[in-house]
Amino acid sequence: MSLSRTGRRREKRDGRFGTVLVVTGAGILAVVALAVLLGPLFTAWGPNEIDPSAPTLAEPGGAHLFGTDVNGMDVWSRLLYAGRVDLGIAIAAVAVAVVLGSVLGVVAGYFGGWLDDVLMRLTDIFQAFPTFILALAVAALLGSGPVNLTVAIALVNAPAYARLVRAEVRAIRDLTYVDAARTSGASTIGLLWRHVLPNSLTPVRVIAPLNCGWAMLTLAGLSFLGLGIPVPDAEWGAMISLGTGDVVAGRWWTSVPPGIALLVCVLGFSLLGEGLQERADRVRR
Amino acid sequence: MSLLSIENLSVVIGGRVAALSDVSFTVDAGEVVGLVGESGGGKSMVGRAIVGMLPTGSVATGRVGFDGVDVLTMSAERLAHHRGHGAAMCFQNPRGALSPTRTAGRQLLDRLRTHQGMDGERARESAVELFEAVGIRSARRRLGAYPHELSGGMAQRVMISLATGCAPRLLIADEPTTGLDVTLTAEILRQFRHAADTDGRGVLLVSHDINAIAAVCDRIVVLYAGTVVETGPASRVLTAPAHPYTRALLRSVPDLDGRPVVVTPGAMPLLREAPAVCPFAPRCAHAEDDCRTSRPRLAEQGAQWTAACFHPLHDAVEAGQASDVTVGAPARRAAPAARAEPVLVVDDAHVVYKSRFGRGGHHALRGVSLTVAKGERIGVVGESGCGKSTLARLIVGLAKPTSGSVTAARSSLVFQDPIGSLSPRRTVEDAIGEPLRALGVPAAERAGRAAAVLDRMKLDRSILARRPHELSGGQAQRVGIARALVAEPDLIVFDEPTSALDVTVQAQILAVIDEVAADRSHGSVFISHDLATVRGFADRVVVLYLGRIVEEGPVEEVFARPRHPYTRALLSRGVALVRDLEEADATAGCALAARCPFVTDRCRGEDQQLQQYGESRAACWRVPEIGELV
Repeated sequence: MSLSRTGRRREKRDGRFGTVLVVTGAGILAVVALAVLLGPLFTAWGPNEIDPSAPTLAEPGGAHLFGTDVNGMDVWSRLLYAGRVDLGIAIAAVAVAVVLGSVLGVVAGYFGGWLDDVLMRLTDIFQAFPTFILALAVAALLGSGPVNLTVAIALVNAPAYARLVRAEVRAIRDLTYVDAARTSGASTIGLLWRHVLPNSLTPVRVIAPLNCGWAMLTLAGLSFLGLGIPVPDAEWGAMISLGTGDVVAGRWWTSVPPGIALLVCVLGFSLLGEGLQERADRVRR
Repeated sequence: MSLLSIENLSVVIGGRVAALSDVSFTVDAGEVVGLVGESGGGKSMVGRAIVGMLPTGSVATGRVGFDGVDVLTMSAERLAHHRGHGAAMCFQNPRGALSPTRTAGRQLLDRLRTHQGMDGERARESAVELFEAVGIRSARRRLGAYPHELSGGMAQRVMISLATGCAPRLLIADEPTTGLDVTLTAEILRQFRHAADTDGRGVLLVSHDINAIAAVCDRIVVLYAGTVVETGPASRVLTAPAHPYTRALLRSVPDLDGRPVVVTPGAMPLLREAPAVCPFAPRCAHAEDDCRTSRPRLAEQGAQWTAACFHPLHDAVEAGQASDVTVGAPARRAAPAARAEPVLVVDDAHVVYKSRFGRGGHHALRGVSLTVAKGERIGVVGESGCGKSTLARLIVGLAKPTSGSVTAARSSLVFQDPIGSLSPRRTVEDAIGEPLRALGVPAAERAGRAAAVLDRMKLDRSILARRPHELSGGQAQRVGIARALVAEPDLIVFDEPTSALDVTVQAQILAVIDEVAADRSHGSVFISHDLATVRGFADRVVVLYLGRIVEEGPVEEVFARPRHPYTRALLSRGVALVRDLEEADATAGCALAARCPFVTDRCRGEDQQLQQYGESRAACWRVPEIGELV
């Protein structure tokens, strides 16, 4: 009897790889979320509070962990408070985009015809602009402030979800289980809500976390250009913008901490999204 | 020495699944061997082992001797040569296995050039010969056809020519007849017999359906749970199988003579390691204590005939056993009450699927009239493309008639693909409750009725919380039937309800359907491509051909005295159709004119209407003469 090993060695990237990514990404985000939610309770300074005893642009250490910025405000406090704004707006904007995009996508994909044509041409128009330019235009049009920023970023991202969901729905609407629900007498709304929508959201579950990372970058970018959260409220992009001149002069502490915070968050979202993608691929195979 | 000699082959996948355990059998040159068993039996794993394509992560022990060389230890180059010249595979789904962007001829020529080293003109000549050899007419023209331009039967023939083109010593066909129509199956199987007889190739036919391939096999090897349970000459194994599982396979399928189906409970186990006891024992009516404590080895039953059973059976397969649970025995059928109220009236319905671009379209139904009374059981048969699924969709309102009318009482549909008909993210309870939800039944009552109907399907209530991917095919189809039943409709349509299931599971589902349809509080329409299945179920049979009803009558009458040439061909009663369905055109005159051996000019020019002949009606004016012509 001969013993032989056939086939290639098993792929290294098995199901566990995806899970590791998901756990790592979610872990990073959980730590950041905890820090920005609870951290401000333990800081000595408010985000917009000026320490009259400390000089502006004081070096890190002592009473101010990350020093003070050009206005004499505590960088560490501002960093934590800004995190609430950045994470909050990014997640809210993506949530709005998902809901809006999914509704449009389901309607366009399921009913087809002229409705589909109209909705898809609208998304075409939105998607014809570079994302950032469009966000810039919408933000400029609506004015600054957290709600308007959320709306701007949501509008920019919704068309992609509409297209994604529409494509899924077009495949799903002719599947047997949708026919089965129809013959069972389900109403159109019931059919869409209970059978079509839940099954069309699979790719959305993967894209949405990745999208949260991009949304944070868009928000930071808008703020960097002065179209974001108005001063004196803290926001990472605005903080980076404020310190750009000082970094050149060697006073790195105003800009670098928010930059790193942004990097960590985007990394967390990316790992989460990649991990979900990996696991979705495993299931599909 | 045998051409192929498999000795004690065991395959373990990922250290978790024992796909094959100690499989041994041989295939000689010029011999056709049928390898049969249900899904999970390991038959495709054997096919893969022979061509050295076991899945990644599997460990094989034993020996796959081909011409004295072990395939399992072949080097990569040796294996590449072996796959073309030694053993060639005809894949299951021929249209999927052909490359869509290259013409059929191109793909064949490539093989002839690389494997046979032929040059341009000679390769072309032999390509034409190969196409003609597998029964492709106007072969020269077909060489330029792309796979999507080929019909299913034609694609299967191209696949065979591709495999034989490399002049392999062994031809392996994976489910060669699955998805093919009745009238084509015999023809395709003849091609394999031909390859063995004239070219002296060994042929291994892998199939789940022992009855389908029976006619052309010299020997049969039956697999169950990765073990060989019986092997022997086809004549013996088919008529008096020694192993109860072989018997179960043969008797799970109804035949045209109306032999009742015998139900075998349970399903094939998924083994984690080589079995220590008889793997079939839990489902076996003859099992005794020794079957549950030790594993029977293959033992001699006769010349070249072995079975792995402690208590082999010796009588003919037709002989009933005391323990048999049967379905479809005609005695159970009482005639429906005369003049019962109709639950379905289809009147001269046409359905045209408009093509997306420009004019024209597909005329799926061309004037069908059908009435179903409460309590009546109607069988609808026809080949693929005859419009039977469109008829099902029309009855339940998924399709609208382009002209004509459909008046149906409350109806429900049981689908062909059991798992696909259940929403992936909804639980079983939710799925069964769906029709009740539409009727506005409150949630608490829905749950109660779902559980009650599940009991009737003989499913455990724990299944209510599961989702479709956690169900077996048989369970899913019971859930589908439960959903069709739960709202107590007036009419239930079964659209090919068993054709996606394993053979022994088919019998179980037929038993469920038989029980459901015996309940005369609703009408039933049973749609199938398989006449035999319809025979055990229906009171009345309707034969569809290209969107028209060509024959209609009481079941016994139609099977005993088929009138229409098409029905006779389906029943193999002395009529052979002359062409494949796809080549027929039905624009004018009788739909069958292009394929009918009795065709006259009148048939070509005149539309045929249903006429009364004895107890049944047929759409053919030559019926009185055909009896003498056959």
